[in-house]
Amino acid sequence: MAKAQVTASSDQGAHRRGSVHGAALLVVAALIALPWVEPDKFALHVISLIAIASIAAMGLQVLLGYSGQLSIGQAAFYGIGAYTSAFLTAKLGVPFPLALIGAGVAAAIASLLMVPITRLTGAYLAVATLGFSIIVYLFIKNEEWLTGGSYGFIGIPRAELFGYVLRDPRSSYYLNVGVAASVYFVFARIEGSRFARAINAIRQDADAARASGIRVTLLKSECFVIAAFVAGLAGSLYAHEVRYLAPNDFTFWKSIEILIMVVIGGVGSLAGAILGAAVVVGLPEYLRAIGDYRMLVFGAILIATMLFGEGGLAALVAALGRRLCAVAMRLIPKLPASRKAAQ
Amino acid sequence: MGALSLSQFIDLVVGGLAIGCVYSLIALGFAMIMRATNIIHFAQGEVMMLGCMCGLTSLWLLPALPLPVVIAVGMASSGLIAVAMELAVYRTLRRRRVPIMNIITATVGMSILCINAARIIWGSEPLRFPELFATSAYEFGGVRISPQLFWIMVMGVAIMGALQLFLKHTPTGLAMQAVAQDQEAAQLMGANLTRMMAYTFAISGMMAGAAGIMLGSLFFAFFEMGFITGVKGFVAATLGGLGSIAGAMLGGILFGLIETFSTVFLSSAYKDGIGMILLIAILLVLPSGLVGLWQKRR
Amino acid sequence: MSTAAPGECLLEARGVTRRFGGLVAVDAVDLAVRRGSVHGLIGPNGAGKTTLLNLIAGVHRVGSGLLRFAAQDITRDSTAKRARAGIRRTFQNLKLFGEMTALENAAIGLHAQTHGGFFDAVFSTPRHRREERSIADRSMAALNFVGLAGLAQARADSLAYGHRRLLEIARAIVARPALLLLDEPAAGLNVTEEAHVSDLIARIRDEGTTVVLVEHHMDVVMRVSDEITVLNYGRRLAHGTPAQIQEHPAVIEAYLGRAAETDRAQA
Repeated sequence: MAKAQVTASSDQGAHRRGSVHGAALLVVAALIALPWVEPDKFALHVISLIAIASIAAMGLQVLLGYSGQLSIGQAAFYGIGAYTSAFLTAKLGVPFPLALIGAGVAAAIASLLMVPITRLTGAYLAVATLGFSIIVYLFIKNEEWLTGGSYGFIGIPRAELFGYVLRDPRSSYYLNVGVAASVYFVFARIEGSRFARAINAIRQDADAARASGIRVTLLKSECFVIAAFVAGLAGSLYAHEVRYLAPNDFTFWKSIEILIMVVIGGVGSLAGAILGAAVVVGLPEYLRAIGDYRMLVFGAILIATMLFGEGGLAALVAALGRRLCAVAMRLIPKLPASRKAAQ
Repeated sequence: MGALSLSQFIDLVVGGLAIGCVYSLIALGFAMIMRATNIIHFAQGEVMMLGCMCGLTSLWLLPALPLPVVIAVGMASSGLIAVAMELAVYRTLRRRRVPIMNIITATVGMSILCINAARIIWGSEPLRFPELFATSAYEFGGVRISPQLFWIMVMGVAIMGALQLFLKHTPTGLAMQAVAQDQEAAQLMGANLTRMMAYTFAISGMMAGAAGIMLGSLFFAFFEMGFITGVKGFVAATLGGLGSIAGAMLGGILFGLIETFSTVFLSSAYKDGIGMILLIAILLVLPSGLVGLWQKRR
Repeated sequence: MSTAAPGECLLEARGVTRRFGGLVAVDAVDLAVRRGSVHGLIGPNGAGKTTLLNLIAGVHRVGSGLLRFAAQDITRDSTAKRARAGIRRTFQNLKLFGEMTALENAAIGLHAQTHGGFFDAVFSTPRHRREERSIADRSMAALNFVGLAGLAQARADSLAYGHRRLLEIARAIVARPALLLLDEPAAGLNVTEEAHVSDLIARIRDEGTTVVLVEHHMDVVMRVSDEITVLNYGRRLAHGTPAQIQEHPAVIEAYLGRAAETDRAQA
C-alpha cells in the first residue's frame, strides 16, 4: 500500500498530529482572546517580550535541536536586527514593515560570515560562534556614530503598520504574538519534510549523511541563515517594543539566555522553545524576589536538565497532556477517538 | 604610531610574556582536561575566577599573608572547586554516556552558576588587590621591568616547570598521562580512573587558580573576569594545539605577545576582538595548532 | 595482473597508496571492478580491505594513485560528491540514524535525487508533495526488497542487529546506485541471516548495481562473488574467480601462514 507520507504516516501518527493541531488552535484562540480578558498593560507587555524572545529561541531550536549545532552567538544576530531596524526607522524613515524584514535580511547576510565556521562541530563550533558574537558586541559598543555606543540608541519610533501606530500594549501584543505564531507555524510546517529529515540526519551522524550524498556544510549553513533571520526579526520587534537599545543587551549573556530557553524548554521541541522563553523572560518579571538569583537558578536548571533528562518542559507538558487525554478517553467512552482506537 | 623605541618594545615584550604566562596556565588546564575527557571545559575561566576571589578573601582575612601563601590558597581553592565540579556533575554525565552536546551544555551551565554565585557572594564591583609587589622597577642591565610582571613570569615558569616534573617523574603523573592516552589500557594496568580524573581536574584547577591570582593582582578581580579570559585561554590552547601540554604553554606565551603587540596597531577597544578573530582563523585554517604543524613536518 | 575480462570497467584503482603515520595501509593497489559484477575483497586481518573501501568511498584521501569511476577521475572528489555520482556504501560498524524510523532512514538515501528544500516544505508546493510521495513509495520498495517492509515505522535503534544490517543496505540501494560498497555486511549474523544477505547481494547485482564486497565470512564471499581480489599487508596478492582463489597457493599461504603464526605464538 503506497503511503502518502514518509514521516508519521501511521494511524497513530495522524491521530497524534491531529490532537497537536487541535491544541495549537485552542492556544491561538486563547491568545487572540487574552487582551480582552486580561487587559493589564504590564502583563501584555511581558507577553510581548516572551513572544519576541521565543522567536529567537525557535531559531536556535532549528540550529541546536534540529541540526545539532550548538550556537552561543545568536545575540549577535538579535543585535544586528535590532540596530538595523532602529537605524532604518529612526534615521532613514523607512516604514516599519520594511525595517522588520530588513532587520531579518541584515542578520541573514551577516550569518553568511559563519558559513566557513559551519564546517566545525561540537564545542569548537560553539566557541567560534561565541567569538563571533563577541566581535559583533565590540562593534556595537565602539561604533558610536552608527549605534550610539554605550550611550545607547534612543528615539526609536513605535512600530507602525499601514499608517496605524501601535501606541498601546494591546496592539504591540498582537504584532509580537502574531509574528511569533507565524514563525512557529512556518517551522512546524517543515517537520517531516525532506529538509527536516536531512538536517536531523546530519545531527545524528554527519558522516553517514555525507555517504548518502547530503551536502552537509550547505545544509548546516542554511540552518544558520534561517536562525539568524528570525533572530533579526526578534531584534527588530524588541527595538520597537522597548524603544531604547544599549550594547549591554547584546552581550554573550543574551546568547546564553537564548540557549537556556531552548534547553529548559526541551531541545528539539518547537513548543518547548516558547515554554522556555516564558520561563526565562516571564518568571523574573513576576518573581521580583528571585531577581538576583535568576541566572543562578537557570544555571542550576541547565545542569539539572542535562543530568536528569533533556526533554525539558516540553517533555513534562507532553507527558502531562497524555495522562489527561488517557483519563478523558476513559471517562467519555463515546468519543470518536476512543471508538477508532477500539477498531 | 611610527617606530617603537627600545624601551617601549621591551615593555611590550615583558607585558606580553607576563600575560602570556597567565594564558598558558589556563590553556594548560584546557589541554589536560581535553586529553583526559575529550571535552572543552567551558567553566575553566570560572575556576580561575573563583581561585582569584578566594585568594583575595584570604588577604582580607589575613592582610599580612605573603604572596606565595596567597597563591597557594588560591590554587588550593580552585583545585578543590574543580574537583567538586568533576565529582558532582561531569563524572555522572560521562558514566551515563550522554551525547557530547549535553556535556558541553552542562559545562556552560556550570559557568553560569559560578559567575552568578560569585556575583552574589562578592558583589559586582571590581575589587583591587592590596599591594603585593615592590613598586620601584627592577633593573637588569639597563632594562627596567615592573616587579609585578617579573614575578608573574617567574612564578608562571616555576609552576609550569613543576607540572612537567610532576607529569613526567612521579607515578601519579605518569598514571594521569596514561589515562589521558588510553583509558582502558590504563585501567587494566591498575589505574583508578575516578581518582585520576579527579587529579586531572584538581591540577588544571590549581593552574587556573594561580593564573587567577596573577591576573587579579595585575588588574582587578571581578565576577566576570573568568569568561573572556577563559575564552582567551582556550584560544591559546588551540593555537598551540588542543590536547598538547607543550602546545598549551607555547600557545599561551605566543598569544600573550600577539595580543599585547596588537594594541600598537589597533585601538584597545577592540583588543578582545583580536583573540576572537585569531580563534576563528585557527579553527578554520590550522585546527591542530602549531604542534600539529610541527608534527606534520617531521 | 588483471585478467582481460568482458564487460566495461566501472571502477578502477591504479597504484593507490595510503599511509597512516608510519604504517602503509594500502600499498600501490590496482583494482578493476567490472560493471554488473559482485567483486569480493578479502584478506587476513589488517590487510587493508576496509581502508581500500574507505578510499573508494572518499573517507580517506588517496596518498598517491588514481581512482576512476565510470571513466571519470574521482581521486579528489568528496564523499558526498561520489555518493551523488552513484557510489553508495554500508559501514562496518553500522551508522544508522537511530532516532528515525526505518522508512525515514531509507528515505535519506534518496535525498540527493530530490530537490525540495525549506521553502518547498513551508508552502507545500506541488513539487514538495510529488517528491514526498515518490520518496515514500521508493523507500518502501527498498525496505520490501531487503525484507523489512513490516518494520517500516519502527525506530532504527529498536531493531534487532540483523535487521539493522539490512536497513543500512536498504538505505544504500534505494537510489539504485551504480556502485555499492558493502563493508562486512554479514558480520555478526547467524547462518540463516547470512544466507539471506548472500541472496540479497545477488539480487542487487541482478537489478544492475555493481557491488564491491569486503567480507570475512568465506561462504558468503565465495558463494556470491563473480571475481575476488585478495589483499595482504596492504598489497594485492591475487585476483581471479572464487574457484581460482580457493586454489591459489599464495592465498592459502597468507591465511594459513597467519594461522601458523598464531599457533606458534600460543605454543
